[in-house]
Amino acid sequence: MPVILNHLSNLIDAPRLVTQTPLLRASGLKKQYGRITAVDDVSLEVYSGEVLGIVGESGSGKSTVLRLLNLEENVEAGDYRLNISGLEAINLFTLARFQRREVQTHHIGIVYQNPHLGLRMRYTSSGNVAERLLITGERRFATLREAARVSLAASEFPLNRMDDPPRVLSGGMQQRVQLAKAIALEPKVLLLDEPTTGLDVSVQALVLDTLKRLQRERHLAIVIVSHDLGVIRTLADRVMVMRHGRVVETGLTDQVLEDPQDAYTQQLVHAKL
Amino acid sequence: MYVAAKGGEDAIQQAEKLYQHLNGTLTPELVRSIEMNMPYLVDRVMGEGSLYAPELAALALAQTGGDLYEAVLLLRAYRSTQPRIAYAAPVKPAEMLTVRRISASFKDIPGGQILGPTLDYSHRILRLDVLDNPQENNHHSHSENNEAIKIADKPASPNYPAVADWQRGQGLMAQLPEQTPVDAADIPDVTADPVLFPAPREHRLQALSRADTGGVLALGYASMRGYGLIHPTVNELRLAHAEVQVKHPVTGATFSAGRVRVSQAEVVTSGGENGKTGLTVGFAATLGWNEVKLIAASTLDMEMNQPSPHPAHTEEFVMYHTEAVEASGFCIHFKLPHYVTFASSVDNIRKVIATFYSSEEKSNGADKPTEIQSETATSEAMPS
Amino acid sequence: MTTSLAALAAPREDYSYAFLDAYAKRELRRRTLKAIAIPGYQVPYASRELPIARGWGTGGLQVTLSLVGPESVIKVIDQGADDSVNAANLRRFITRMSGAATTTDALQATIIQSRHRIPEEVLQENQALVLQVPDPEPLRAVQSDSSKAHEMHADADYGQMWLVLYEQLVRYKQYIQGASYPSLVNGRYVISPSPIPRWDTPKLHQSPHLTLLSAGREKRLYAVPPYTDVRPLEFEDIPFQVEDQRGWICQHTGAQNKFMNEIPLADGTAAYELSDTGYMEKLSAEANGSTRGATYYDDEGNFYHAGYLKPPVQPD
Repeated sequence: MPVILNHLSNLIDAPRLVTQTPLLRASGLKKQYGRITAVDDVSLEVYSGEVLGIVGESGSGKSTVLRLLNLEENVEAGDYRLNISGLEAINLFTLARFQRREVQTHHIGIVYQNPHLGLRMRYTSSGNVAERLLITGERRFATLREAARVSLAASEFPLNRMDDPPRVLSGGMQQRVQLAKAIALEPKVLLLDEPTTGLDVSVQALVLDTLKRLQRERHLAIVIVSHDLGVIRTLADRVMVMRHGRVVETGLTDQVLEDPQDAYTQQLVHAKL
Repeated sequence: MYVAAKGGEDAIQQAEKLYQHLNGTLTPELVRSIEMNMPYLVDRVMGEGSLYAPELAALALAQTGGDLYEAVLLLRAYRSTQPRIAYAAPVKPAEMLTVRRISASFKDIPGGQILGPTLDYSHRILRLDVLDNPQENNHHSHSENNEAIKIADKPASPNYPAVADWQRGQGLMAQLPEQTPVDAADIPDVTADPVLFPAPREHRLQALSRADTGGVLALGYASMRGYGLIHPTVNELRLAHAEVQVKHPVTGATFSAGRVRVSQAEVVTSGGENGKTGLTVGFAATLGWNEVKLIAASTLDMEMNQPSPHPAHTEEFVMYHTEAVEASGFCIHFKLPHYVTFASSVDNIRKVIATFYSSEEKSNGADKPTEIQSETATSEAMPS
Repeated sequence: MTTSLAALAAPREDYSYAFLDAYAKRELRRRTLKAIAIPGYQVPYASRELPIARGWGTGGLQVTLSLVGPESVIKVIDQGADDSVNAANLRRFITRMSGAATTTDALQATIIQSRHRIPEEVLQENQALVLQVPDPEPLRAVQSDSSKAHEMHADADYGQMWLVLYEQLVRYKQYIQGASYPSLVNGRYVISPSPIPRWDTPKLHQSPHLTLLSAGREKRLYAVPPYTDVRPLEFEDIPFQVEDQRGWICQHTGAQNKFMNEIPLADGTAAYELSDTGYMEKLSAEANGSTRGATYYDDEGNFYHAGYLKPPVQPD
């Protein structure tokens, strides 16, 4: 029975999670915009194969945390390490612009809520994916085409439309192009910023299915930011609740969402119901 | 080895002669007349040419038949050949011989609102009587509206304090930073340094000072009309004569090498990021009297300090696109033959046609490229 | 005896040798040396206004004026032609200000200032080619902000340039970049080789002569030193192609496999003539003993660096 087998393999996997060191470890993150502190002393850890959900209302700092993890911005304080050969001992915030770009390119994929942030809307969808390989120096056209095909197929994008520009695609398809782009170089870390917000419920479910499958197959460390507790419940193993730039509660998803301890989390969960 | 003399050379020489012929004779009297009677035109050419030389500016105007861009280019090209032999001392507003100084910020200001020479409150009516009675006017050039100017009972003071000094005293405006004296030779010079961005403020002010009046007005107006962040209030507008103070190379004594017409404008706003704790200031100054340019330029200067300015107020955009000589030169260069670059593009079109259309019968024209026009915007050959 | 200031000063009609003052020339030479030292790097310079309209070759002209001496021999071409009005005007100015001799023979010239062409004959080690550049920034099409483009060059961040080529291949099954084909210099900086046709781009590769490229309006100059690698951006499996002018025969000389001007005729057909008028002159005068030098492309159209240009491949 495939269902039981799947269940069993999950059980066998579980202890390994605990004994490993986390793939992604950030501590004491602090980010200010002028006089506003957007992120204040936020720490988090994510293991390979694990999904961490970050929830909170808009302005809670959750998207800023994601941008920091993608090395898009500088921090006032904080330490950020990836347990990847050669990088273990480096606080990634101390890297120069050029080295940061290397880390970003090779090890981190990101999907934004707004596809305009992640895609070149007028270029082909396949080109958007192929650009990742171009950045790393791939110079064979046939290889680029094949890589684009493989990644787009993995994100369940219809290949007969691979050369359409994102601007003519539906919202769901745009997110699949972003996803294909994010996984093109097989990164260890995948960051998702409200990846299904604004999509139809049915499309949303399909995209979430794809994400779950990819996470299973590729053993990615995923951080997903969403204000939608349904999405978090579907995808996340653990959840972190943020408010006013601070972490108010963390724990296993079921635990936090079923039995919230913090008053704010309770409010959030009840508002959802 | 021989000197190449080709048909082309004769053609261009004849074309230039024809142009000069149609413009009429170039005489010292014409030059003098322009210098004496067209001061605002001469000022504009000097300002954009960034060379204070009324006689040469008038010559440039006469020589080009009044084509402003050509006149500015002439003056700039002449300027390129001139070594810098001295640096003048900084000009202080309070020491300038001011003939006009107004402020829109207050009803009255220390020293008073001095209207000075202006057309601001005149009726813009063509003086057709001048045409009807040419004789009379030649002899009575100060008749009718041109009655002799009334002399004030008490002569006005030539010097006026800066309005901003009062505002600084009130704490409404940030204090000027303590200035350590700098060697004038070390001040960045936009005409002699490579320009990089972000540009030093010296480069920005110098660029605005020599910018195309029309270009600055267009961008400044866009900002004022609705693409800007803030409403400019003209805090001070000043037309003056400034002494050019230089040091004698041998004795070291400071002396005045002459006076130049200068104008400066300062606009302020309480908008913008710093507006809540004090006034934000924009400033511009230029050689010659050119009020419209300076109000627009000082607005741009102010906008460029804002955190997220409109593209038309980003430093690089403004500085590149208001450069009179570069903008006009590039625009007219499209008159030059481009047949080699054109041939290169035509070659591509033919190859694409051959790939997708000539084999139409065989492949039924599958996979034709679509939207050739719009989609190649980013990938098309660079213009030349 | 009293002497007036006017009498002491130099006459106002006098100009410095080669127009620019010594300070400007010295700055240009320093920038030029830097450009040669860092092949393909765009060196900013304080471009001076010249008595020629901006955008009409003032960048090339400033470099030429900083190099020229009385012993120089100058050739000026525009679109390959010595007798184009703009070339004639620039040549007239350079000789008027420097007293240098002029020629139309590409191999006799010590300095060749050119707009949009490289001569057909292989230039030599003692020659400098000065190319006029309208826009020095190859990244302009993908990044209009020059400070950001500057950063991209620093990081060798050329992914977007390659993406543009990828897009062209997907849509048109071939590169459709026309003139000023972006090229990688010395394996480091991508340059715009100025709007020369693709036919001329390979001539920059491992060339004996020095090439200086200068944009007066944009105030940038850059160089391809002698014997430096210059590679047009091309995918490994889809080679770069020059203009296809096979079968075009010069109506004056019968020459083939050199860059041609296509001249539309009233009957709907076209005639062809060599774009390089200096070379055409030599061919016409060959009967009188004039000798032409080796050319970059032989009469069968083979480029002189064997293997540099490859037959076309169309992507699937």
